Amino acid sequence: MIRFKEALREAGILILVACALGLVYTSATEKGMFARSPRSKTAQRTDIPTPSMISRNEAKSLFDSGSAVFVDARHDIDFNLGHIQGALNVPLKDYDVKKSVLSGIPKDHLIIAYCDGSECNSSIELSVKLMKDGYKNVRIFFGGWREWVDANLPIERQP
Amino acid sequence: MKNLLDNPYLALLVRVFVGLLFVVSSLEKIVDPAAFAQSIANYKMVPEWLVSLAATILPWLELLCGFSVLFGALTRGSSFLLSAMLVVFTLAVIVALARGLDISCGCFTQDPTAGKIGWLKILQNATLIVLTLFLYFSNSESFTLLQLLQKSNPGSDQPH
Repeated sequence: MIRFKEALREAGILILVACALGLVYTSATEKGMFARSPRSKTAQRTDIPTPSMISRNEAKSLFDSGSAVFVDARHDIDFNLGHIQGALNVPLKDYDVKKSVLSGIPKDHLIIAYCDGSECNSSIELSVKLMKDGYKNVRIFFGGWREWVDANLPIERQP
Repeated sequence: MKNLLDNPYLALLVRVFVGLLFVVSSLEKIVDPAAFAQSIANYKMVPEWLVSLAATILPWLELLCGFSVLFGALTRGSSFLLSAMLVVFTLAVIVALARGLDISCGCFTQDPTAGKIGWLKILQNATLIVLTLFLYFSNSESFTLLQLLQKSNPGSDQPH
């Protein structure tokens, strides 16, 4: 019991110090919960519309018609293991380096961004970056890789 | 069992291992709390405001507990907190697995390519829980900061 009381007292001290350090550091560096909201940044850029989401059926129709370019936002390791047939890879974390693979695509061409599936947000973030770079016709296939594979739709792997 | 809990060398070994592990793993989270917040949010278990708060405080708590265990100061409290955190993290991983979430752990690195959650992660956490509980129940005070201070100032604990 004495051991437990001692542990609680020490734990309380550690939690208080951690709270103080965490709040001071993140507010001083404007990181995490004190980061400027991306929403407010976007709000200043009223010329950028929000990309809309499409279902698997819509993605499949656009894939069949060949009227859209699929862009995979996942890491290149995941992309090489398997991706939607014909998709290009622009990993979100390397966007500035890898966006050159889209250089041959006209700015008004339909682009569909996707990532792992509904458990990731990379497709949303990628689509916003694409629209900021002037691509006017961007959609998000939020069901992503997982929905595509579950439906046994065409995929390919990097050799 | 009591011999093991009293063994100063075993306690030192566990303290160095657990301490360094949590110090190192906390640094990446401190530098990039947004990435850590995303890792927590991926579990879809806590509201957004709690995600931000956890991403702000937990890395610092891990860092403090890591240093605390490493130097043998406030060891009882830090090992208690580490055990509690590990139990919560492990439950989160189990629930996420049961719900079929295919996500990165976000435990010791924020690199999404470092590996998805799985039973191996639960085994790792279970091992760490055993080690932190060992520190909690250990009676060894050898090789600690307190002992070092007492050795360098042997008269300090004598009555005046």
